[in-house]
Amino acid sequence: MSYHPVVIYVLVLLGFVVTNLILAHVIGPKKKTAVKQMPYESGMDPVGDARQPFDVKFYLVAILFLVFDVELLFLYPWSVSAYTDQHIIPAELSDTVFGVMLVFMTTLAIAFVYAWRKGVFRWR
Amino acid sequence: MIELITTLITIGAVLGGTLGTCSYLIYVERKLSAFMQDRVGPNRVGPYGLFQPLADGLKFLLKEDIIPDHVNKVMFLIAPTISVFTTLLAFSVVPFGDVNTSFKWQDLPIISSFVPESWQTADVLRFLVAPNVDIGIVFIFAITSLAVYGIILGGWASNNKYSALGSLRASAQVVSYEIPLGMSVLGIALMAGTLNLESVMGKQTSSIFAWNIWYQPLACLIFFTAALAESNRMPFDLPECEQELVGGYHTEYSALKFALFFLGEYTHVVTVSFLTVILFFGGWHLPFIAEANLDANSTSILMILVKLGVLMLKVFLVIVFIMLLRWTIPRFRFDQLMGLAWKVMIPLSMANVVVVMTIKQFGISQWWLLPISLALFGAAGAIGVATKQAELNQRSVTTH
Repeated sequence: MSYHPVVIYVLVLLGFVVTNLILAHVIGPKKKTAVKQMPYESGMDPVGDARQPFDVKFYLVAILFLVFDVELLFLYPWSVSAYTDQHIIPAELSDTVFGVMLVFMTTLAIAFVYAWRKGVFRWR
Repeated sequence: MIELITTLITIGAVLGGTLGTCSYLIYVERKLSAFMQDRVGPNRVGPYGLFQPLADGLKFLLKEDIIPDHVNKVMFLIAPTISVFTTLLAFSVVPFGDVNTSFKWQDLPIISSFVPESWQTADVLRFLVAPNVDIGIVFIFAITSLAVYGIILGGWASNNKYSALGSLRASAQVVSYEIPLGMSVLGIALMAGTLNLESVMGKQTSSIFAWNIWYQPLACLIFFTAALAESNRMPFDLPECEQELVGGYHTEYSALKFALFFLGEYTHVVTVSFLTVILFFGGWHLPFIAEANLDANSTSILMILVKLGVLMLKVFLVIVFIMLLRWTIPRFRFDQLMGLAWKVMIPLSMANVVVVMTIKQFGISQWWLLPISLALFGAAGAIGVATKQAELNQRSVTTH
C-alpha cells in the first residue's frame, strides 16, 4: 500500500492546471469595453445584485445530505469487514452485528419517513 | 528511482489518454448528435472533420480571456481549476487494464538496448497510477464530491443571476445524488469484501457469470443514473439548461477557463464509464477472448493488449450509450429530479443493501439476488404508477 504516486499525480495536476490559467492569461487579446465587463443577462441592463437570499429548501436538502452521508461513512467500514474470508468479525459476533445493522437501518428508515411526511422532499 | 520513472510514465499516459480522449469524445458526440438529428456535423476541418478537436483547442487558447469587473477574482480563477483537478485526480485509482500484468523494459524491441541493465525487469508503465489503494471506491467518491465546490464557487463568484441559480441547482442535485451513488456500491462492497477496485475487478474475471451485473442489476441502474446526474449530463443537465439559464454556472466564463469546465465534465463521464464497467461488467473480461483461466501466456504482449482493448471497447460502448441518452430522454423538471433522488433511488438502494446483507448472513445462494432485485424494481415501478394515478384522479375530482 503506497500513496506516493497519488502525491506525485497531485503535483503534476497542479502544474497542469496552473499552466492552463497562465496560458489563458498570456495568450489571447485583451480589449476591455464597458459592455463586455457587464454581467451577461440576455442583453438587459442588470438590476440589483446576484447575491440574494435563496429558498430555505436548499438548506433542508443540505442538512439531510449530511445525515445520510455520515451514515454512509459508517456503513463502508462495516461492508468491507462483515463478510470477508479473513473473518475480521468473529463468527460468534456475526448474528449480533447483523441485528445491530438491522436496527440501524430501521432507525434510518424511520427518520427518512419522518422527513418525507414533514414535506422536506416536496418542491414547489 | 525506477519506481518514480514508472509512475511518471503512467501519469503521462493517463493524462495524455484522458485529455486526448476527451477532445475526441466531443467530436464523437457532435457526430452522433448530427447523425441522430439528420445533420452532417463537423466536416470542414480535415477528412470527415477529424481535426475539429485540434481547431477547437486552438480557438479556446486564442480567444480573449474575459474577467468581468463584477466578479470575485480569486474565486473566479480557482473554480474551473477545482472542477478539472478533482475529476482528473479521481482517475488515479481507476485501473485501465489487467493490473497483474505489465510491460517490462526488456519487452520493448528497440528501446530496451538503450536503457541501463537494472531497468530491464522493471515496469515501463502500470495500468493504474496508484496501485493497492485499499480505499479505492471511497477515494473516488471523496474526490469527485469535491467537484461541487468548483460549481458553487464558479456560480457565486460570477455574481450573475443565471450563474447563481445554476450553481444552486447544481449543488442541490449533486449533493442529492451522492447518496444513492454511494449506497448502490455498498452491495458490491458487501459481496466482494473490499473497496479496492483492482480486487473488485479481479473477482469478476473467471467467467461471464461472475460479473456483478447478474447479482446487482438494480444497483447498476441506480449507480449509472446517479453517476449521470453527478456529471451533470443530459437528462440531468438542469444546472446549465440553455433555455432557462443561458450557460448556468459557467455563463461568465470564456476561453480556456470555459474549456476547463468542459474538460472536467467529459473527464467525469469517462471516469463514470470506467467505474460502471469495472464494478458491474467484469472489467477486461470477455468470454473466450480474454479470460483469467486462458492466462497461461498472460505475460505475452498480445494478451495484455487484448485485455486493454476489451476494457476500452466496453468503456467506449458505455460512453456512446450516455451520448445516445442525451438525445433520447428530455430534461427533467427540478422537482422531478429531486423526487427521483430522494423518493425513489434512496429507498431502493437502502432496500438493496438490506437484501444483500440478509443473503450474505444466512448463506443463501447469490443467484436469489437477481429475481429479488428485479422484483424490487418492479414494485417500485408499480407503486410509482399507482401514486401518480391516485394523484391524477384526485386532481380531476377537484377540477370538476
